[in-house]
Amino acid sequence: MSAAAELAWLIPVLPLVGAVITGLGLISFNRTVNRLRKPVALLLITCVGAAAVLSYAVLAGQLSGAPVVEHLFIWASAGNFSLPMGYVVDPLAAVMLALVTTIALLVMIYSHGYMAHDKGYVRFFTYLALFSSSMLGLIISPNLLEIYVFWELVGMCSYLLVGFWYDRDGAAHAAQKAFVVNRVGDFGLLLGILGLFWATGSFDFQGIADGLSQALSTGSVPMWAALALCILVFMGPMAKSAQFPLHVWLPDAMEGPTPISALIHAATMVAAGVFLVARLDPLYSQFPSIQLIIAVVGTITCFLGASIALTQMDLKKGLAYSTVSQLGYMMLAMGCGAPVAGLFHLVTHAFFKAMLFLCSGSVIHAMEDVVGHEPVLAQDMRLMGNLRQKMPITATTFLIGCIAISGIPPLAGFWSKDEILGQAFNSFPLLWFVGFLTAGMTAFYMFRLYFLTFEGNFRGHNPSLQRQLLIDAGRLSEEEEHHHHGGTLHESPWSMTLPLAVLAIPSVLVGLVGVPWNSRFAALLNPEEAIEMAEHFDWGEFLPLAGASVAISTAGITIAILAYALQRIDLGQLVAARVPTINAFLSNKWYLDAINEKLFVQSSRKLAREVLEVDAKVVDGVVNLTGLLTLGSGEGLKYLENGRAQFYALIVFAGVIALVVLFGVLGGPTA
Amino acid sequence: MIEFAVAGLTEPVNATVPWLSLAILFPIVGALVVPFIPDAGDGKQVRWYSLGITLVTFLITVAAYLNGYDPSSSGLQLAERVSWLPDLGLTWAVGADGLSMPLILLTSFITSLACLAAWPVSFKPKLFYFLLLAMDGGQIAVFAVQDMLLFFLAWELELIPVYLLLAIWGGKKRQYAATKFILYTAGSSLFILLAALAMGFFGGGTPSFEYTDLAAKNFGTGFQLLCYAALLIAFGVKLPIVPLHTWLPDAHGEATAPVHMLLAGILLKMGGYALLRFNCELLPAAHVQFAPLLIVLGVVNIIYAALTSFAQRNLKRKIAYSSISHMGFVLIGIGSFSALGSSGAMLQMISHGLIGASLFFLVGATYDRTHTLQLDEMGGVGQKMRIMFALWTVCALASLALPGMSGFVSELMVFAGFATDEAYTLPFRVVICGLAAIGVILTPIYLLSMLREIFFGKEKAELVSHTNLVDAEPREVYIIGCLLVPIIGIGLYPRLMTDSYRSSIEALVNRDINAMEGIARPTAPIIRQQPTLQAVLRAPSLPGS
Repeated sequence: MSAAAELAWLIPVLPLVGAVITGLGLISFNRTVNRLRKPVALLLITCVGAAAVLSYAVLAGQLSGAPVVEHLFIWASAGNFSLPMGYVVDPLAAVMLALVTTIALLVMIYSHGYMAHDKGYVRFFTYLALFSSSMLGLIISPNLLEIYVFWELVGMCSYLLVGFWYDRDGAAHAAQKAFVVNRVGDFGLLLGILGLFWATGSFDFQGIADGLSQALSTGSVPMWAALALCILVFMGPMAKSAQFPLHVWLPDAMEGPTPISALIHAATMVAAGVFLVARLDPLYSQFPSIQLIIAVVGTITCFLGASIALTQMDLKKGLAYSTVSQLGYMMLAMGCGAPVAGLFHLVTHAFFKAMLFLCSGSVIHAMEDVVGHEPVLAQDMRLMGNLRQKMPITATTFLIGCIAISGIPPLAGFWSKDEILGQAFNSFPLLWFVGFLTAGMTAFYMFRLYFLTFEGNFRGHNPSLQRQLLIDAGRLSEEEEHHHHGGTLHESPWSMTLPLAVLAIPSVLVGLVGVPWNSRFAALLNPEEAIEMAEHFDWGEFLPLAGASVAISTAGITIAILAYALQRIDLGQLVAARVPTINAFLSNKWYLDAINEKLFVQSSRKLAREVLEVDAKVVDGVVNLTGLLTLGSGEGLKYLENGRAQFYALIVFAGVIALVVLFGVLGGPTA
Repeated sequence: MIEFAVAGLTEPVNATVPWLSLAILFPIVGALVVPFIPDAGDGKQVRWYSLGITLVTFLITVAAYLNGYDPSSSGLQLAERVSWLPDLGLTWAVGADGLSMPLILLTSFITSLACLAAWPVSFKPKLFYFLLLAMDGGQIAVFAVQDMLLFFLAWELELIPVYLLLAIWGGKKRQYAATKFILYTAGSSLFILLAALAMGFFGGGTPSFEYTDLAAKNFGTGFQLLCYAALLIAFGVKLPIVPLHTWLPDAHGEATAPVHMLLAGILLKMGGYALLRFNCELLPAAHVQFAPLLIVLGVVNIIYAALTSFAQRNLKRKIAYSSISHMGFVLIGIGSFSALGSSGAMLQMISHGLIGASLFFLVGATYDRTHTLQLDEMGGVGQKMRIMFALWTVCALASLALPGMSGFVSELMVFAGFATDEAYTLPFRVVICGLAAIGVILTPIYLLSMLREIFFGKEKAELVSHTNLVDAEPREVYIIGCLLVPIIGIGLYPRLMTDSYRSSIEALVNRDINAMEGIARPTAPIIRQQPTLQAVLRAPSLPGS
């Protein structure tokens, strides 16, 4: 099976080739290529499909114990510096390859239905293939620098895809914000990589870890520097994996088409940060204080995301904050020194969250026929309700996703989340408690989403509510009349429901490969840890913790049922009316966007304007003043501006030549 | 006659075919023929002629590279030497090493594309193409000549066409911009002349201005510092270095697209090339003292110009300031005593030559359609001009150093070279790297805001009603495509380019490192011990060798 690993370089190259072909086609023969929807989709789905087949072959190879394959070549060199690039296939990479290609393939099939009416269909598929290629490249990168390269490339694809509907102002701002916030993280990552290279002379994960511990022991690198470098590198994952306080871009990124939200902003790219921290585990495990920071950041993110998700009325935003929260769990696991647990949650989460997002896409697709192509309306749950009647497949799969993410056994989310909480309980009990609370909140907000969307009465045909929502969003002024649409709800076409059904299977079952007493997942990634886990497994320890998490999840679900399905309790009256500050705090997303706007956006604009002012008035002013003074008066300047400056220039030139001649004549004989 | 043993420089390899002279003289002769081309006055014949000349020139330089240039050698190659005016000590000496060969190729490449970009020029086309061709020869000469006086002449010769191109075909404020340009550059080039004469006559031996002779001379440190300062001003105007940059936004703001491409693509590189050629190679002792200043100036360039670019509302000026910002990396690379950093500086020049040219070309193409450069008056243009939007996006991403494109590699090399450079103290490196990396955040802010304001959002009704927003035509796509091939090629496999000058840069850096060790022996390396700025301030009082 090692033959497949030898061909692993093809996995990112195949989608890239497809993307380049269609991209060039779009540039050179725009109209023709735009009409070739089916052939393009077929070509790109084939490319990604072939990559998926290869990925599974690679995974099978790793499962049967094939050795790690690494191939390098010298990419850049100068002086005694040389920088290798290449690819590595190890168990972690194999798992990620299979995961990403699977979801990418399903999302592409889904997009065929979702984007059917969009005039940018071909462009969308091209971007998707480009993204798949960069993401797969990131996974098989053998060193930090190559990760950085693909890290930026996936960021670029995210930029292009968030801004896909570029006629929407919201999308334009969200795309820019996503890129810039990620660049803030990359700023740290780049400096960290450079610093680690300075300290260890290596870009290689293991080489960095070994080099740094060696440098610390010889004293050539002080402890504070090592810690600072680790934190700098961590800034990259913080931005990419939407960790507090750099999570602000992810909810906004929901402006992109929904398949993108599923693929990039839920399942794959945002998990790249977690993946990188896992890759750097040999480094981070040397520094308990850094691990603590990672764990705390993860916990804050986890709680923050869930708390904001409680009050969201936008279906996609609710899911987005849920993603933020779940990424926090993964980071918490990394901080507890349990990368395997974090990666396990990454895998399970990828399946059920991708499915949930695709469900939301299916809902939006249906809602658009009723309320029109206006995200403010099509995504607002106040206009939904009772969709289960018309969209049974979507509703069922969404419900499966809700149960999975809430951590009800034996669905996928239970096993992975419980493992993280168990690890946290042993390492940082306080953080465990926050994570435990969050599990209850998660169950509550997910079922809230489900009930508001799929149960109750349909509220979509309410023109005054639609109007109000548009006015609130600033999309309609008080005077304008809102144009009404009048379609009916319908279940989405097979190309969209099929991926949902396929994803439901792993959402239910994939957790079973990681049961704590016999974790095949851990056995693949880290055999020693798996043996250790199985040896230390104790039902007496497992049951109380697992029972507690199931209990709090059930409590959350119960509240959601009471409030939104049976309408026994009115949370608006009970909580929002009594403590309006909390409600305002949550619905304003902890005021982080406002702070961000004031502190960074406004002040950097102001600074830039001031610098420009200085440049125009002072620096250039001095120049103009000098010009004025040397020429005697404004008259002189006018003379120059009258077009006789050519003459002046010629005088300068002639004078220079004369000088040369003069010096030549004088200097020649004497020397 | 005394023969000088030239340390670190191998004997020139003489050319069998005078490739470089051919590359310089062919476009100039071609320019002289322009007045005799039969042309109706609308430029339709003369533009084909000029395109042919520039393409042949490009082919000549490529042939020179393939036939007479050995990338693995650090010495002078393709050398030709004819005694021209022996009384003046002036020889026609041309040649190419790793520093000049890539830039010669860049020049002939960008000029031929600029000629294609100039297709719509219909006002005084003969004069326009005459100047364009003259400039082509002049710029190749700047990079190819091996004699400092000749260099000075070529440098001056290239100013006149630029001046006229600005003054005749520019925008509304063209006279002001052109005057400013000529005053700045002609004024600063006086320093080149002074330094050249001083270096030619002092330091013993027969007066000679050839680089090999100058390199062999043993100048005192004080003398080197004076010459270095003079040359730094001269080349600093060209590069440009803040605060000597204010001619650039005006000149770039008024120039037409093809002139623009040449200004950004080649002219700015003359400054960087000259810094490497003269300041680093010929004045190593002074370079050791001045290098920290270069690095500080580089950081100032990066941040200052990025901020100004962010606040600019005029598209051309925005891109012009972004050029200044990118040139900051060249300065840092030159100031680092590492092969990696200097190699990065060289690559940054080439890379910016390509990316800058493509961005400025796009600015021109966009202006032709929107008839405005004010960002406030644009918006939603992407819906009618989709291909243009795509080209802009790719070039903007290249400019913000996206991996996979050349800008990333060069900036990374500069960063990595400087960060691991033991010539500077750790705190200095930390501060500089941290500040320079802020540019990494600022660049996408201004470039992506720019894209957003031009292309994203709803179409502006006023703009649409007044203009005819047609999408990019094949000629424009072709030009950008040509520029993107090397941009992406270098980005994917940088050794395509770096290997062609690697040994020259290594020889150059070794020379500087030797100089640093030579100077610093009595009191241990100054730069290593002292806070760097202090070393700069103290520099003039150092004893000469």
